[in-house]
Amino acid sequence: MKPLRLWPQRLVGQVTLVLMLAVALEFIGSSILFEHSRLYPDLENQTKRVAEQLVTADALLEDTPATERTARATVMSTRATQLGWSVLPSLVDGGRDTENDFREEFLEAEPGLQGRELRLRADIDHAVPRDTHLKAALKLRDGSWMTLNTRIHVAPWAVLLSGVGSAFTLGLGVIIAATLVLRNLSRPLRALAEAADKVGQGAHVSIAESGAGDLKLVAKAFNAMQDRIAGLLNTRTEALAAVGHDLRTPLARLRLRAGFVKDADAREALEADVDEMTAMLDSLLAYLGGQEDPEPQRRTDLAAIAMTLVDNATDAERPATYTGLEHLPVLGRPVSLKRAISNIVDNALHYGGDAALSLTREGDTAVLAVEDNGPGIPASEMAHVLQPFHRLDSARTRNTAGLGLGLTIVQQILHREGGVLVLKNRQQGGLRVELRLPAL
Amino acid sequence: MDSSGPGTIALPRDLATAPIAPTVLVVEDDPSLRTLLMRLLREEGFQPLSAGHGAEMARVLETNAVDLILLDVMLPGSNGFDLCRMVRRESDVPIVMLSARQDETDRLIGLELGADDYIGKPFSKKELIARIRAILRRTQAGSQSSQPRGHQRMTFSGWSLDPGRRELLSPDGAFVDLSGAEFDLLLAFVSSPQRVIGRERLLEMSRARFSDASDRSIDVLVSRLRRKLAVVGQAEPLLRTVRGVGYIFTAAVERR
Repeated sequence: MKPLRLWPQRLVGQVTLVLMLAVALEFIGSSILFEHSRLYPDLENQTKRVAEQLVTADALLEDTPATERTARATVMSTRATQLGWSVLPSLVDGGRDTENDFREEFLEAEPGLQGRELRLRADIDHAVPRDTHLKAALKLRDGSWMTLNTRIHVAPWAVLLSGVGSAFTLGLGVIIAATLVLRNLSRPLRALAEAADKVGQGAHVSIAESGAGDLKLVAKAFNAMQDRIAGLLNTRTEALAAVGHDLRTPLARLRLRAGFVKDADAREALEADVDEMTAMLDSLLAYLGGQEDPEPQRRTDLAAIAMTLVDNATDAERPATYTGLEHLPVLGRPVSLKRAISNIVDNALHYGGDAALSLTREGDTAVLAVEDNGPGIPASEMAHVLQPFHRLDSARTRNTAGLGLGLTIVQQILHREGGVLVLKNRQQGGLRVELRLPAL
Repeated sequence: MDSSGPGTIALPRDLATAPIAPTVLVVEDDPSLRTLLMRLLREEGFQPLSAGHGAEMARVLETNAVDLILLDVMLPGSNGFDLCRMVRRESDVPIVMLSARQDETDRLIGLELGADDYIGKPFSKKELIARIRAILRRTQAGSQSSQPRGHQRMTFSGWSLDPGRRELLSPDGAFVDLSGAEFDLLLAFVSSPQRVIGRERLLEMSRARFSDASDRSIDVLVSRLRRKLAVVGQAEPLLRTVRGVGYIFTAAVERR
């Protein structure tokens, strides 16, 4: 047996239910408020006046001989209030809530009426304006009855105010309640929107499968979609990586074969081509495998890496220099860090013609700066140089090696080590690249 | 070390001119690459043997005395790591792993399993021959001076050198990057501590000789090493120059 579920499972059902509840609430609420609207000050004053009249007339008639009472009562009558006298009661108490309310108010206004027999009958005139015809019969001491017949007039503005006012307060209340409920209902949707935004930036976000039935379905489909996309991307990455690895064997053959070429110029050209292909392959594999690099983080001397790279460049007769700290440990993956710094140094040597490395410590941050005297990066290109496969136009015409992944990989590596990459054009010309990492 | 190599010769000699050419076994599944490697080794004065997979390798090892194995990681059936482990159970023959994978983990696994070196594909002829020669010389020198093989960690004034993983850790435990030549030079120093070593001998012991090195380049390497080994407040430099002769590594070395 399925438990009886009153809460609808689908979003449409839930919204409908909330709206229906709100309308019902508004309806009930306004009815109650409307009943109470007669307690507005205007009505209260009128009721007090009637009670006063009743008491005054009672005092006068008591002192008047029975024969003159009818005449006296007529004299005391006004246009709004007719008074009369009779030996026998001419009125049966209405006995309804309305009459009891009036009785209570009478007794409150004139405590002298306490203990007296008072019959009331109130008839609401349902035509606008909603006046009340009130009849009261008070038993005098000798057992005869005095009657009072009046009309309690409700000013149109009071009706309007009570109606609009109650509707307004209630409506507001209901709107707030409905908003809260709907907000609650739409939370899964907002979570979905946020997740979709994050997914667009490449993160994997699994969202909770909660909320209304159809929203649950959306969440489930969304999660499944993410898994499929991740699966597809992984398959592609793996396929590319596999091709990359497989290419190494023919490249190895090619490189070895190059060693057998007798013509020195041809051999060097061949070797340079193989080197270029290898470099492209390395950068592609580094880019693709960036997130899954199994190398563990460890305490690493940043200075030693920078020195090794500068020494390598110097050995290849490239103008590279190193200044700054002799040791500066950071937490990172040494091979990744070396690749990052090497990419920056290669760029500086290639585009700038020289590379001046300096390592300093700024508080808790290790700052490795690589400066060159090249043309720098045009301001319009600054935002794009970090994008994968992007190359400066001048770089393309120069027919340079590489796939345009160098800086992307540096960015990837630094991001993973909790660092930042800063590119700045120097005032005196050239580019300054800063690798900022948390120092130990 | 087996007795077929020139390990019985009292003084280290240039291997290419040794009376018996060192035998190198190439284990590589790609036939063309295998053929190329064999040709290259033959031209460089080695005696090459080949195997396409693990079973074949085992057969060759049964019937031949081998001085060094060039072992590809990606092989059909049992891979290079398995084979490396298998060989190490029975013999100390030097192993050089060849791999298409460039990542550090593969290199470390190979070295931990007892491989002597690890070369990423593609490699040049010069690089390969240089590494093979360096390893043959190192192992022969080792068997001669009863230097224990294997990968003992060596420590000196707080520093720690791991020849297996080819790693240097500073006194505060940070990994200190060294170039191949710097590492070999440091290893040479640490292997003969507190003894004066001539430049000639250092050249021989470090791989630097294969990158058109001169006497001067040993001095450059030493100064680079000094800089990387510098510690604030250190009373005596680890590497002291002995004028006109060479260098002395001043600290005591402990093996673990």
